[in-house]
Amino acid sequence: MNTQFTKLRLFLGAAVTSVVMSACGNLLNVEPVTQIDVNADFREPLAVRVGLTGAYDGLSNRLIWGGESWCYSELLADENEIRFRGTFQYMGDVWRKTMVPLSFAATELWLTGYDAINRANRVLTVIDSLPASERNSVRGQALFIRAAVYFELVRFYGKAWGDGDNATNPAVPLILTPTSAFLSGVVTPEESRRRNSVAEVYAQILTDLRQAEELLPASSIATRANKATAAALLSRVHLMQGDFANARDAANRVIATGRYRLAPTFEECFREALPGFSGETIFRIPITEQDGVNQLNVFYSATPGGRRDMEILAKHVNLYERGDDRGAFFFTSGRRLTSKWRDQFGDIPVFRIAEMFLTRAECNFRLNTSVGATPLEDVNRIRTRVKLPPLEASALNLNAILKERRLELAFEGHLLHDAKRTRRNLVYSDQMIPFSSPRLVFPVPQREMDANKNLTQNPGY
Amino acid sequence: MNKSLRLLPRLAVRGSLVLAATVASLNPTLRAQVQTGIAESSAAIAPAPMIATGVMQPSASATLELVQTAQVSGTVKDEDGNALRGVVIKVKGSNKGAVTDRDGKYSLVGLSDGDVLVFSLIGYTKKEIPVAGQSVINVVLPLDVQKLNDVVVVGYGSQIKREVTGSMVKVKAAEIVDVPVPSFDVAMQGKAAGVVVTQGSGKLGQGISVRVRGAASVSAGQDPLYVLDGVPLTASFGDFGGNVGRSLNPLSDINPQDIESIDVLKDAASASIYGSRGANGVVLITTKKGKAGKTNINFSVQRGFSSPSKFLQFANTPQALEYFRRAAGASDRIDGIDPKDPDSYTSALEAYFQEQSLGLYDPSKPNDLSKVPNTDWAAAVLRNDAPSTQVDLSMSGGNEKTLFHLSGQYMEQEGIVIGNKLNRLSGRLNVEHRVSDAFKIGLNFSLARTNNNRLPGDNAFSSPLQAVALPPVSPLNDPVTGLPIGTPPGDPNIPVYYNPIIGVNNSYRNFVVLRNLGNVFGELAITEGLTLRGQFGFDVATQNEDQWFGAKTVRNSGLPLGGTTNLSQTVENFSGSAFFNYNRTFDAVALDAIAGTEYQQSRTKTTQFSAQDLPSDGFRLAAAAAKPTTIDSRQTDFTFLSYFARANVKIADKYLLNLNARVDGSSRFGANNRYGFFPAASAGWIITGEDFLKDDEVVSFLKLRASYGLTGNAEIGNFQSRGLVSGVAVYDAQPGTRPLQLPNPNLTWETTTQAEVGIDYGFLNNRISGELNVYLKNSTGLLLDVDIPGSTGFRRQTRNLGSMRNQGIEFTLNTDNVNVENFSWKTSLNVALNDNRVIDLAGQILNAGLGNLPSRAVAGQPIGVFYTPEYAGVNQENGNAEWFKNTLLPDGSRDRTRTSRYSEAQPIYAASPLPVWTGGVTNTFNIYGFDLTFQFNAVMGNRINFYGVGQYSFAGARFEDNVTVDQLNTWSPTNKTATLPETRYLIENGSQASSRFLLDGSFVRLRVATLGYNIPKQVFADAGLPITNLRLYVTALNLLTFTNYGGWDPEVNSDDFTGAGGNSVSANAAVGQGIDFYTAPQPRTIMFGINVGF
Repeated sequence: MNTQFTKLRLFLGAAVTSVVMSACGNLLNVEPVTQIDVNADFREPLAVRVGLTGAYDGLSNRLIWGGESWCYSELLADENEIRFRGTFQYMGDVWRKTMVPLSFAATELWLTGYDAINRANRVLTVIDSLPASERNSVRGQALFIRAAVYFELVRFYGKAWGDGDNATNPAVPLILTPTSAFLSGVVTPEESRRRNSVAEVYAQILTDLRQAEELLPASSIATRANKATAAALLSRVHLMQGDFANARDAANRVIATGRYRLAPTFEECFREALPGFSGETIFRIPITEQDGVNQLNVFYSATPGGRRDMEILAKHVNLYERGDDRGAFFFTSGRRLTSKWRDQFGDIPVFRIAEMFLTRAECNFRLNTSVGATPLEDVNRIRTRVKLPPLEASALNLNAILKERRLELAFEGHLLHDAKRTRRNLVYSDQMIPFSSPRLVFPVPQREMDANKNLTQNPGY
Repeated sequence: MNKSLRLLPRLAVRGSLVLAATVASLNPTLRAQVQTGIAESSAAIAPAPMIATGVMQPSASATLELVQTAQVSGTVKDEDGNALRGVVIKVKGSNKGAVTDRDGKYSLVGLSDGDVLVFSLIGYTKKEIPVAGQSVINVVLPLDVQKLNDVVVVGYGSQIKREVTGSMVKVKAAEIVDVPVPSFDVAMQGKAAGVVVTQGSGKLGQGISVRVRGAASVSAGQDPLYVLDGVPLTASFGDFGGNVGRSLNPLSDINPQDIESIDVLKDAASASIYGSRGANGVVLITTKKGKAGKTNINFSVQRGFSSPSKFLQFANTPQALEYFRRAAGASDRIDGIDPKDPDSYTSALEAYFQEQSLGLYDPSKPNDLSKVPNTDWAAAVLRNDAPSTQVDLSMSGGNEKTLFHLSGQYMEQEGIVIGNKLNRLSGRLNVEHRVSDAFKIGLNFSLARTNNNRLPGDNAFSSPLQAVALPPVSPLNDPVTGLPIGTPPGDPNIPVYYNPIIGVNNSYRNFVVLRNLGNVFGELAITEGLTLRGQFGFDVATQNEDQWFGAKTVRNSGLPLGGTTNLSQTVENFSGSAFFNYNRTFDAVALDAIAGTEYQQSRTKTTQFSAQDLPSDGFRLAAAAAKPTTIDSRQTDFTFLSYFARANVKIADKYLLNLNARVDGSSRFGANNRYGFFPAASAGWIITGEDFLKDDEVVSFLKLRASYGLTGNAEIGNFQSRGLVSGVAVYDAQPGTRPLQLPNPNLTWETTTQAEVGIDYGFLNNRISGELNVYLKNSTGLLLDVDIPGSTGFRRQTRNLGSMRNQGIEFTLNTDNVNVENFSWKTSLNVALNDNRVIDLAGQILNAGLGNLPSRAVAGQPIGVFYTPEYAGVNQENGNAEWFKNTLLPDGSRDRTRTSRYSEAQPIYAASPLPVWTGGVTNTFNIYGFDLTFQFNAVMGNRINFYGVGQYSFAGARFEDNVTVDQLNTWSPTNKTATLPETRYLIENGSQASSRFLLDGSFVRLRVATLGYNIPKQVFADAGLPITNLRLYVTALNLLTFTNYGGWDPEVNSDDFTGAGGNSVSANAAVGQGIDFYTAPQPRTIMFGINVGF
């Protein structure tokens, strides 16, 4: 070959190569844009605020206060008043009280619960970057969210308060700091926590809620926690513990704010668009076309949105007295369904003032007190609204109050927990299932048992 | 001419060494020409071929020795009549020889009548012709179908197959040309040993799975790297949302008719040149190029029909009524309820039938079925006559300076499931231009528009195949409205599940993909043997999905006024490479070396909006929608920067050595581990090059080879090493953030070490040939989505952890059974055994697939092993389903007592979804103008998880789904010998997850059968027509299937629940597999075609 051309070609080759090589400097440094790097987060007050919103988002997860775990409560404690006719096998397993550690319900409630807890914990550790004026409210809200999730978890995964020794009955691991591995990348053996006792978890819930009630503002929009919200949750926790005085007082504090009143009709309690809804509701999870899923609508209702999986049987309807509006609060779509959750995009009322009246009534009755009102007054408020005749004082007894509570709050997620705390044994099909049956406690998820060797499984799984 | 059938080769023939010597000595330019099929082109393109062996001196250009006086001359042509240049003519048993010139002419002197001339050229069948007094011998050399002489494409170059020391397999254009499939990967099924292609679903254009030598990873990708004309392709369009199951197959934008060859690199020695992306194998696709000379025009039309390859029979109305009544009675008995109680199961069931039949069933007249519908839902959603049409036009040709190939295709297929349609319009232009002797430039460019009217994912009620679950008592159409049952204004809550037929006319999911694939390149010859090639490649895909849900789909969409969604995704994938190639022969040593660099960057941008509440069903776009619901945009990027080098050394045409290495850096890897090094070495010994075998009459070719090396797998998410905070945490219309992902700055590729020993053999003049490979593939540092304690608030962290092993044997055998004039019969067989085992996961157990019957990755088991209690059968006394307890006893054995309490049964590793062996056999016959091809493929020894369907339709009346007819004969107090458990309405009795639902998925399938007829060329010549060939053919896909599988189709992998994209409980890509979930069966397609060449 011609040597001159050869030289030219050699030069060209070298030039191309060096251009290619030199262009390669920082080509491998690519930053995420859809998400942001953890190191770019939490540098300013705004990040704390949006972190708190994210914690509420965690709480509103469909498994937690998006309503699905309330379905579990109703199904697990069902005594042939519901027939589960859906295709989700894991829901059928809950209804038949035949859960297995692989259960989707047990797995997802655990995982989404701790996701929300970690979000709240994260906010709690960086709260000092907020202006002082804002800190109390944000801390109170994060504590409230954490307590709310732990209360759901302890009731499903642990034995009921007082069923055996609270100090030794395992519940769930108590985690109060954000996961350090989020910054370090190192998941240490310490992350494999053992299960704390039922007593420890309840104690923490109380600590958090008491502090929250103190720190929170007196009022807020109904999708954010305030003092009354914390008190409402406290009343539930105390009631679950059989601490009737504290439950009564907490419920009374909510009522005493005067900001909540019973909706004029039962229907208004469940229709966001009706005027009575906002007065009745102490706290609600927002559901819109843009965000959130109302799992109560999904499982209990029909088209649009509902799968009509939860057929309500005659046995349940027969519990209502003649003339009770609630006894007619059903509709038929090939099968009988409750009318409570017909709004596909309806907000989910987490606490209704009716519950506070019923809690106060029950506690006052048990303690033979009349804090705020007499038990009879409170029960009759509830009865009057649904066009039932008021009870005579002679007819008032604990069973009457508990029955009123059961019918008023049916399909709102209280059934299992009320059965356990009142030590009511269940009769399901032809079997007697004691309130303390291991079948009424969720298994620790198999994936969690596999991932964390320090966990122990619940009996029966 | 001997017209008797010669079933055995002529043992007297010898001389394959001539061919070997020739191939070995071809200079690189010619070798490249052989590869591209332009060896016969004019001499201006390349220097004259130089023959450099000890036998024939390079100086001899045409005639070698002039000793005797008898002279023979002639012309050598190919079957198309083109002159063949460079054909070596050797006089048998002597050193005499010649080479044809650019016109295919040769001459030889000094011959005697008894001499035999051997004509040979790489890629063509050798011919021996006795001189026998002739002075002119014109020869036509047919193309050689024997694999040994193929040129195979390797990373950044090509090699002669016989010199290859690694392990690779080639699929040629001719093998896939008539197969009526939308993408070439489907056509590879059963063709290549060790390459398992699973289509998974009969839906059109969906992503399919290709596994080269088993799954080498757990959480990272398992698909091979696809490289089209040197450009790494976008491997996946990722999750695109929209509830359509698996993402589209990115390979279906490539027109299979444009493909010249597909080369699959299987072992480390061949794949390590692709470094961190080679561990799953590499598929190199080469498109067609023009040939100098006459411009060839080819036109073809195919038309045909598809039907399901298998139907599953469901109960009719009398059967279903009887079955469910039996079930309701059993449930009432068990729960102690009086059947007359309004809450009884029997009451509920009677009301249910009445409701589901729209009142046509009257519970007061339970035996009067005269008005009760008897609907065959499967027949209503599956089509027997789905038409397909494909039209192709291509043109190729060129001269000594410029070569071109131009093609266009339009194809449309309708699916066997109603509502499924695909059409594609594509075009390609490949041009190559020689600027000067030293400089060549080229362009490969294609555009494709693929329009896919898709179906919902398998798991959706709106997926048409789920209609089989509907009760036969429900009429197809509501007698009041005349519309499909469940269409408003009829009650949308009937039938029991959403009627997917409503969706066919009242909703759509239309995907349009615009894909621009191609590259520009330049090649510069610098000095003798040294060239520099630079290439810029692009793969730009725009995917646009329009979804509309009319008001009548309210039950499915939840939108009483309808809704609309648009998703748009752009994937820009650019790459550039530059490398030197040095190719020289020094006496007995030939060196072929490359060194270069490559850069790739990819950006995916996705935008989506959804809106609801449209004024009427006539409005289908968001312009008219009252409420926006979703607005979303995302972006993700990755880059790779690589350096690579390779050297192939060949000594004395016998000893082969290959060394190669790549350094790969990627943005995907953690800050602490950015670059990886992937070396490999292989060696080969052509034993037939040794004297003791040189002239063997039986063994015509024998090569022993071994390879060892490292490859990597980098197919993880783009930012998997980063701690990420997500903004998808809106609450009450306020912006929020949440922790999304734990960081892992040490994250890096996973490493696969692969060792292989193989033999390439050819017997009886290569009429029997093939190869045998044994390999051991160890993957370590697996990119694992490790389950971490969920109490951290995180589910998984991607880590390099654990190891997995694949070991196997591959065997191929190609035989030329009969080869006489006007009749030939060839057989090609491949068998592969692969044993996959997870060796170590550091105690981790990964779950995927279906929640209650998970697929697992766990040490000591094959990946994806099904973990579930072992079904024991029915208790003949009480009809209860029973399982073996299988609890571990103190002595290490398992408790084999049976229990009817499901929770007492310990789950076990019940079965593997992986086949024990796979294989294929192809027989090709040519008889006069007819050609006939049968290709069978087999998958043996795998189990399929049918629980997804089975729990509903296969195991009692726990759910209200209709049941298959093979499940009707259940135990009852009056039928105690039945082998199926008692059916109980809404009560589980055997429908719980268990090994009962793990069905044998083995099958043998007549994949392709083709019968063609080539009208003799003489007919056109006589008629004066410019037609060079005219072929008529009929081809059938999936004509016969032999299987015991109890579901629809054993070739199944549900688009939901499997892989990374579906509804799986875990993101672990390889773990969930072999799951049937109302998955559409494969189509049986029959196509008629005509192919005309001018």
